[in-house]
Amino acid sequence: MMVETGHFALVLAFALSLVQSVVPLAGARFGNQRMMAVGGPVAITGLALTALAFAALTVSYARSDFSVANVWENSHSLKPLLFKITGTWGNHEGSMLLWVLILTFFGALVAAFGNNLPATLKANVLAVQGWIGAAFLLFILATSNPFARLVPAPMEGRDLNPILQDIGLAIHPPLLYLGYVGFSVCFSFAVAALIDGRIDAAWARWARPWTLAAWSFLTGGIAMGSYWAYYELGWGGFWFWDPVENASFMPWLAGTALLHSAIVMERRAALKIWTLLLAILTFSLSLLGTFLVRSGVLTSVHAFASDPTRGVFILAILSLFIGGSLTLFAVRAQSLGAGGLFHPVSREGALVLNNLFLTTATATVLLGTLYPLIVEAFSADRISVGAPFFNLTFGPLMVPLLVIVPFGPLLAWKRGDLLAVAQRLWAAFALAILAMLAVLLFVDRLAVLAALGIGLGVWLIFGALTDLALKAGVGHAPARVLPSRLAGLPRSVFGTTLAHLGLGVTTLGIVGALSFGSESILAMKPGESTSVSGVTLRFERLEPVKGPNYTENRAVFSVRDTDGDVFAEIESSKRFYPVRQMPTTEAGIGTFMFSQLYVSLGDETPDGEVVVRIWWKPLVTLIWLGALVMMTGGAVSLCDRRLRIGAPSRRQRRPATAADAVVP
Amino acid sequence: MLFWIAAALLTIGASLAVLLPLAGRGALPSAEPGHDLEVYRDQLGEIERETARGLIGPAEADQARTEIARRMIRADRQRRRTGEAGWGRGARALCAASVLAVPLVSWGLYGWLGSPDLPSQPLSARLETNPADSTIEELVARAEAHLAANPSDGRGWDVLAPIYLRLGRFPEAVTAFSNAIRFEGSTAQRQTGLGEAIAGAAGGVVTAESRAAFERALTLQPDTPAASFYLATALAQEGRIEEAVVSWQGMLSSLPPDSPWRGAAEQAIAEGRRNSAVAATEPGPDRQDVEAAAGMSDSDRNAMIENMVTGLDQKLRKNPHDLEGWFRLVRSYVVLGRTQEARDAVRRATEALGEKSEAAGKLAAFSGALGISAVD
Repeated sequence: MMVETGHFALVLAFALSLVQSVVPLAGARFGNQRMMAVGGPVAITGLALTALAFAALTVSYARSDFSVANVWENSHSLKPLLFKITGTWGNHEGSMLLWVLILTFFGALVAAFGNNLPATLKANVLAVQGWIGAAFLLFILATSNPFARLVPAPMEGRDLNPILQDIGLAIHPPLLYLGYVGFSVCFSFAVAALIDGRIDAAWARWARPWTLAAWSFLTGGIAMGSYWAYYELGWGGFWFWDPVENASFMPWLAGTALLHSAIVMERRAALKIWTLLLAILTFSLSLLGTFLVRSGVLTSVHAFASDPTRGVFILAILSLFIGGSLTLFAVRAQSLGAGGLFHPVSREGALVLNNLFLTTATATVLLGTLYPLIVEAFSADRISVGAPFFNLTFGPLMVPLLVIVPFGPLLAWKRGDLLAVAQRLWAAFALAILAMLAVLLFVDRLAVLAALGIGLGVWLIFGALTDLALKAGVGHAPARVLPSRLAGLPRSVFGTTLAHLGLGVTTLGIVGALSFGSESILAMKPGESTSVSGVTLRFERLEPVKGPNYTENRAVFSVRDTDGDVFAEIESSKRFYPVRQMPTTEAGIGTFMFSQLYVSLGDETPDGEVVVRIWWKPLVTLIWLGALVMMTGGAVSLCDRRLRIGAPSRRQRRPATAADAVVP
Repeated sequence: MLFWIAAALLTIGASLAVLLPLAGRGALPSAEPGHDLEVYRDQLGEIERETARGLIGPAEADQARTEIARRMIRADRQRRRTGEAGWGRGARALCAASVLAVPLVSWGLYGWLGSPDLPSQPLSARLETNPADSTIEELVARAEAHLAANPSDGRGWDVLAPIYLRLGRFPEAVTAFSNAIRFEGSTAQRQTGLGEAIAGAAGGVVTAESRAAFERALTLQPDTPAASFYLATALAQEGRIEEAVVSWQGMLSSLPPDSPWRGAAEQAIAEGRRNSAVAATEPGPDRQDVEAAAGMSDSDRNAMIENMVTGLDQKLRKNPHDLEGWFRLVRSYVVLGRTQEARDAVRRATEALGEKSEAAGKLAAFSGALGISAVD
């Protein structure tokens, strides 16, 4: 009953999405208010129905209902309850259902909180959301139905891919999808504006909170995925330039560009067309990411999702939406009109420069990701584009961008004074130079590049803080009013500062882990010790452990200081999941301040030794902490934006909204 | 029944979401306010604040105010008003169609995709049903659930282990027999079962581990026919066919006349003799190859056989005067079902050996017996 009700709800959601695609759009065309008003209730009901379907599937997983083929393929009665539940989206069908659930969630949010939108814009946005929803619901029902049944039902399932049996699966895909799919709202806003043939300054205000929300979620999702890969795959790396990682990184780069160009559009009514194009491209890249993962065209660590037959369907959706929206853009963009003018050295100019770097970087990553596909399509060769390509192209593009980041927020609108800004940044610059000297003098005299990297991170952090300090009035206001002035600053200023500061923190982490780390591989017996960057790592014992659905060989290491006192213990293990006949590594990680000692087990040698790989990764946690700071920045800025979307509405006209707009 | 009620309620709810706004319930979106103007007004206020804070000079502020004012005028000119609800014939038809589409699309599509008669089957509920009504799989699952909760119940493992073996679930059978031995003690029967399970998991090859289990069974109880039989099989698999035949014959002489193992032993002896006769004339794959093949998957094993046959074929092209080789090649092709190539081989051999030679005659007789003739 439960399962079939869920199935029926999903079909019903598809029927509603068809209505949502057509009726509000027609209403906007005919100028019929009643038809436009259909969009809201239908979008909210669609969310309720999709949520019901998703809940039915989750319950089937939790109760090990193997009469559902999807549960049988991806679950096992002995799995811990948490992994039974997360297993719902640890497979193709379930993850597509999650995708659509989040899509309808965002659609319902627009419907519920978009009361201050112009009626036609809202109707068109909801209709475009309806198109996306209808396409993906059809895809699910036609090619990957999670509610397909099995008669007779088997008594035991085939278990979930052991790599996915991790807390990471509970967090990474939902966050990532919230990011991917969040950009669908920006896309819908852009397409709606194009359909309407009209775009105004208010558009940027309405579209920006969605961009911010999606960007924050995507930042968190990517960081979480990176940390998950870091500790689960046992290779000690945090980013592999794997096609699927790139697939999530491209919308992030484009989304970051969108975030910045939307500021210009809102404040200066410039870059309208460019912002629309970015909104379309960002979601297109999200769709491309879905396509790359779901179709299995590129083999990667996310191989659980590969099935070429579905690829054709997704490719059709992809061409329809990307091709369709770009065509619409080509036809309509000219009619939108240009915006205000500005001097090259100005806040606008800085943001344009930011956009240039970010879009070039996106194009670079896109090329590197798709190049193997292109080569394969036109010849019989199979090639892979690895880290060296990206390090050579992406790195040099990012460095100048990071250097100019602190200048941006300090430049004035329309016409800025570069020299004055540089003078204001002297403290940050001095600190960066100091940091570089410190690295060269105390850590490694030859690590010039690494020192520059550390300097860059410090420059970003203090550059961001300088901006905040100046806005609070340091230097030209009396010291006693500073706290109140600081508290009076709009939240978006804090958002900007946090996001830029987070970028610096992440830069420090990347440079630290890549430049000052050490790696050693050795065969150890229990009782043996080795020294790693000033501490002693002693292999205490190897013990077998029986988990609920796996067996584990657990190695326990103790970390001792120079006197031999134990101050930390690290457990690293290899697991074996009998149902899938798959081994996994569970890396042992000890965190000391921001640095980590990473121990991963290899094979056992015949004479009782175990191959142990040990990495010392200085500052590595800063990579993800920085991302968290960026995400927090997005959230803080979003709080502000919520007030600001309210600004044009009748009841919320209050002074605070104007004050908020001082600095985006 | 309950499902149909739920489906009907959901459909009604979804249809209402379309119908109510069309029928005029719920608040209408208000006529479009001048959103642009609001934003620009905000910006004007902002300039006042910035001037007050000293962030921009009065001249720049004036300039900015002028620009915003210019934009306000433009926006005001562009303000369009949406007309009153347009209810043309097209709009009415579309509304009717969309209200109808909800039940029609959903029931039609569900009727095609769904299985309304299938109840949900949570595992715990299935395990609670009367054992007499259960299939063997359900009984096994029930026992598994019990053993997952009480993993030290040796009797449970003892009961489950032979069932696993019978069902061909060898890896589970290995675990079950090992646990039964651990908790209930070692008996000849359990050790034999363990040996069989290990051999089954290895695709029928009596591995060293499995041999050890059978040997333990024989120490516990010297007349364990199954253990003796498999140990002899192990010998045969190692290529020590004569020794295997001898021990099977030993079994035959000691087994009671009604033992089910008699037939198995007799069959094994017959096959062993046949193989040893062939083995005597053919240098087959060596022991290392056989062992390697035992650990391979089916496709890998086939690939290995293919390789060996191709290798032999190549060798005979270079040195076609090896009559033994031709025998083996023809036989291999026949076994692989590649009769055309077998025929081709016979033809090539006849050419090389001489049409009327004694060797060619032997080959013709041999291939004729396998159902192959060069002429056809």
